[in-house]
Amino acid sequence: MELFENAIKLNNVSYRYPSAVEPCLKNVSLTVRKGKFVVLMGATGAGKTTLSLCLNGLIPQLLEGELTGQISVAGHDVRKTAVQSLARGLGLVLQDPETQIIGRTVEEDTAFGPRNFLVPLEEIKRRVNQTLQKVRLTGYHSRLTEELSGGEKQRLAIAGVLVMEPEILVLDEPTSELDPVGRSEIYETLDDLRRERDLTILLVEHSLEEVIKKADEVVVLNQGEVVWRGVPTELFRNILLLRQFGIKPIPVSLIGWDFYKRGWISLADIPLDIPSAERLIRALLPKYGHCQWLEQRKGQQKGRLLRKRELNQSEKVSAVQVSDLIYQYNSGRQALKGINLTIEAGEFVALIGQNSAGKTTLAKHLKGLLKPTSGNVLIDGMNTLQYDTSQLSKTIGYVFQNPDHQIFSVTVEKELEFGLKNAGFKGQEIKERVEQVLQYTGLERYRSVHPFSLGKGERQMIAVASILVLKPKLLIIDEPTTGSDWSGVQTMMALISQLHTAGTTIIMISHDMDLVAQYAKRVIVLKDGSVILDGNPQEVFSNEEILLNSAIVPPQLSRLSSRLKDVLCQETLIEPGDFMAMFESEGKTKCL
Amino acid sequence: MFIEYSPENTLLHRLDVRTKMLGFLGIVIFSFLFQDPRYQLLSMTFTGLLAFWIKIPLRKIGGMLTPLIPIILSIILITGFTFAPERFVQASSQAILFYALPGDRLGVTGGGFLMGTTFMLRLFSMMIASSVLTLTTSMDDFTQFFQKMKVPVEASMMLTTAIRFIPTLDKKRRLILEAQKARGAKFNDKGIIGPIRSYLPIMIPMFINSILMANSLSMAMLNRGYGLSQTWTSLREIAFAPRDYWAIFIIVLSLTLAIFVRFRLHLGIL
Repeated sequence: MELFENAIKLNNVSYRYPSAVEPCLKNVSLTVRKGKFVVLMGATGAGKTTLSLCLNGLIPQLLEGELTGQISVAGHDVRKTAVQSLARGLGLVLQDPETQIIGRTVEEDTAFGPRNFLVPLEEIKRRVNQTLQKVRLTGYHSRLTEELSGGEKQRLAIAGVLVMEPEILVLDEPTSELDPVGRSEIYETLDDLRRERDLTILLVEHSLEEVIKKADEVVVLNQGEVVWRGVPTELFRNILLLRQFGIKPIPVSLIGWDFYKRGWISLADIPLDIPSAERLIRALLPKYGHCQWLEQRKGQQKGRLLRKRELNQSEKVSAVQVSDLIYQYNSGRQALKGINLTIEAGEFVALIGQNSAGKTTLAKHLKGLLKPTSGNVLIDGMNTLQYDTSQLSKTIGYVFQNPDHQIFSVTVEKELEFGLKNAGFKGQEIKERVEQVLQYTGLERYRSVHPFSLGKGERQMIAVASILVLKPKLLIIDEPTTGSDWSGVQTMMALISQLHTAGTTIIMISHDMDLVAQYAKRVIVLKDGSVILDGNPQEVFSNEEILLNSAIVPPQLSRLSSRLKDVLCQETLIEPGDFMAMFESEGKTKCL
Repeated sequence: MFIEYSPENTLLHRLDVRTKMLGFLGIVIFSFLFQDPRYQLLSMTFTGLLAFWIKIPLRKIGGMLTPLIPIILSIILITGFTFAPERFVQASSQAILFYALPGDRLGVTGGGFLMGTTFMLRLFSMMIASSVLTLTTSMDDFTQFFQKMKVPVEASMMLTTAIRFIPTLDKKRRLILEAQKARGAKFNDKGIIGPIRSYLPIMIPMFINSILMANSLSMAMLNRGYGLSQTWTSLREIAFAPRDYWAIFIIVLSLTLAIFVRFRLHLGIL
C-alpha cells in the first residue's frame, strides 16, 4: 500500500551528461503523490527536461552519463525496467510534437503505442476513439497528420501517450510554441483529464497564468536543485522569489506587490486574477486614490499625440508602404486580402493575430521573400518587385523564429560574417562590424565556440546578431521569445528596445500580449488576411470584443482596466505603473 | 513521377493488395514473354483500359511520358542499328532495311526496329500498370502486404516513417532556404565548386536538423513502446473476398495461356 501511494519517487538523484562538466541534476529528492497535479518550473537549463527524461528511463537507458540515486515510477525502478514497459505506467509527452507523430493519419498515429503492446485490434479501436474524444480530436481519424495545426499536433502527441492508459502523465512544455487558442485548448484538455480519472500529472512549464488555480503543487528547479516547493499561489505572490528563480510574475500581481510594499495590504491579499485585482483596486481607491491622476494622464497623452504628428510631417519616405497587397497561394486561397499599411521610420510595430491570420505572409512580403500577387510593397522607397531579397538585406533584416534553421558555421564569429560576405563587405569592415555586434549582444565570450554547443537562448541571440551586423534600418522579428524563459525574454526585449531607441524601425510578430503591451508603440491586428485593428496598444486592446473574435486574448492588465471602466473614465491602462499612478505615491493623503 | 493513392471505391480499389500485386507481376511476366510489339500493344491496351476505368488523371501520365520521348527514340534507333540479323528467328526480322554506311556496313534490321518498339511499349505498360497500382492501393495496404510476405516489422516501419517525414523535411528545407535568403545568400555561383559551396548554408542546417529530429523521434518511439516485442498488432486484417479468387483465377488462366502461346505455338517472337 505504501509503495503505491507515491506515483513518482526520486531519492537523492544526480545526473551528469556524458560530455558535461557540471551535473545537470544535483541531489534531487522528490515525491509526487498519486492523483496530484504538480507543476515543475524553473529557468531554461534548470534541469526540467532532464528530470522528465529520467522518469521514463530514457536516462539512463538511451542517454548515457552518470546517474546516481534511486528513481521509482509507479512502483518500478527505472534502471531495471525497459523504457517500453515503463511507458505503460508513465506517459511522457516530449517538447516538439512534430517528431513525436509517427503515423501518417491521426488514427494510425494514435494506435502506434497499443499496437506495440500487442493490444487486440478491437480494443485498440475502442481506445483510439475514446482518447481522441478526450483530447477533442473526435472525427479526425483519417486526417493526415502533416495537415494538422500546431495545437492539433500537440493534442495528438498527448493522445498518442494517453492511449497507452498510463497512471502518470508527464508533459514537457506542451504549449511553448502555440498561440493563445492552442494553449487554452491544451489546458482545457488537461482539465478534462483531471476530472475524468485519477491521473497523476506532472507538467513542466516556465510560466503559467493558466494553471495556477488547477495545480496542487509547484516544484521549482534552479540549476539542477529543487529550491522551492509548495502551493502555487504562495509562490506567485512572492515576486522577489520569482525574480530569483527567473519565473515570469503574473501582471496583476505586480500591482498588488506595489500595494504590499507600501504596506496597504498583506502578502496573502496580492491578487492573482482579474476579479480579485478589481475588488482590491475598488477597495483601495477611496482610501489612497490620487485626485488629479486623470488630468495628468490626459496631459501626457496630448503630448504624445503631438509628438506623433510632428514625426509624420518630418518624414518624406516611409519605411514601409504597402498598397492594396493581395497574395494568393497556388491553391487559389487568398492569404492576404488587400492590405494597405504605412509604417514610418522609427516606429515599434507589433503584428498580432491568430496562427494563419497572415502575419508571417505579410512580413515575408516586406522582406521580398514573397512577391505580391497584386499591389505594391515599398521598403524605404524600393519596390520589392524590382529588388530581390539579397539587395533588400542591407535595408531590412528578418530574424526567423527558429535559429536552428540558419546556423551552419563552426564558430559564432563565422556565423555573423556570412551575411556581411554576401553583402559584399571586405576584410577590415567585416571584422569591425562583427566585433561591434558581438559586444552589443553580449556574445563576445562565445566568439569561437560552436553555435550548437550553446543553449537555445544564446542561439536565438546569434540569429539576431547575424542580422544586426548588416545594420538594417528596419528589423522584422518573428516570435523572438518562443521557448525562452523569462530572463531570456527580458534580455532579448532589452536588446530590441535598445535598437529601437537607436532609431531602428521594429516590426515584431508575437503571441505574447504582455510583451506587446509593454514594448510596442503601435499594434496591428490581422485576421484572415486583412487588417482589422491598427493603433496604439491602449486603443487596440480596449476593443476586447473584436480581439476575442479573432482569437486574441488582450493582456491581463487591459482586461482589468476594462472592468474598471467606470473609475478609469474609459481609459485603457496596460502597464502596472499606469495603475499605480492612480494612487498617491506617498500614501495617506485622502482626497476622494 | 509518383501517382499518389486516391481513395475511391472501384473494384480495383476493393481488390486485395495481394491480388493486385499478383496481377502486376502477371503483366510484367506477360510483357517479358513476347518480343513482338503487337503483343506488347495488347498488354498496353489492357493496362490502358484499367487506367481509363479508374480515371487516372491523363495529364499526369502525359507529364510523366513527355520527358522520356528522347530516350525512347534513341532506344529505337540504337536497337535498330545494333541488333544483328542472327539474333532473330523470323525471316522478316532478319531482313536488312538499309545500310547506314557505304560498303554494306552498319545495317539496320527490321527486327531491331520492332524490338525497339517492343521496349518502348513495354516501358509504357509498366508505367501505366504501376500508376494504376499506386493509385488504387493505400500505403497501409502496402505495409500489410509486406507483413504478409514476412518482411520484418522494421522494414515496413522504416518505409512508413520515411513517407511520413517527407512533407516535414520539405517544410524544413523551405524555412532554411528563406532564413539564408534573408541574410543575402545567393544560389547562382559559377564554376564547379561554386554551386556546391553556395548550397552549404542549406545542407548543413538540413543535416543538423534531420539528426536532431531523428534523435527525438527515436526517443518518442521508445516512449511509445516500440521494440517491446518483435511484432505488433495489425490495424486491418486483410482477407480475400470471392472477387479476389475470381481475379486470381483470371490472372493465372491468362498467364498459362500466354505461356502456351509462347512456348508451344512459338508465337510472338521476332
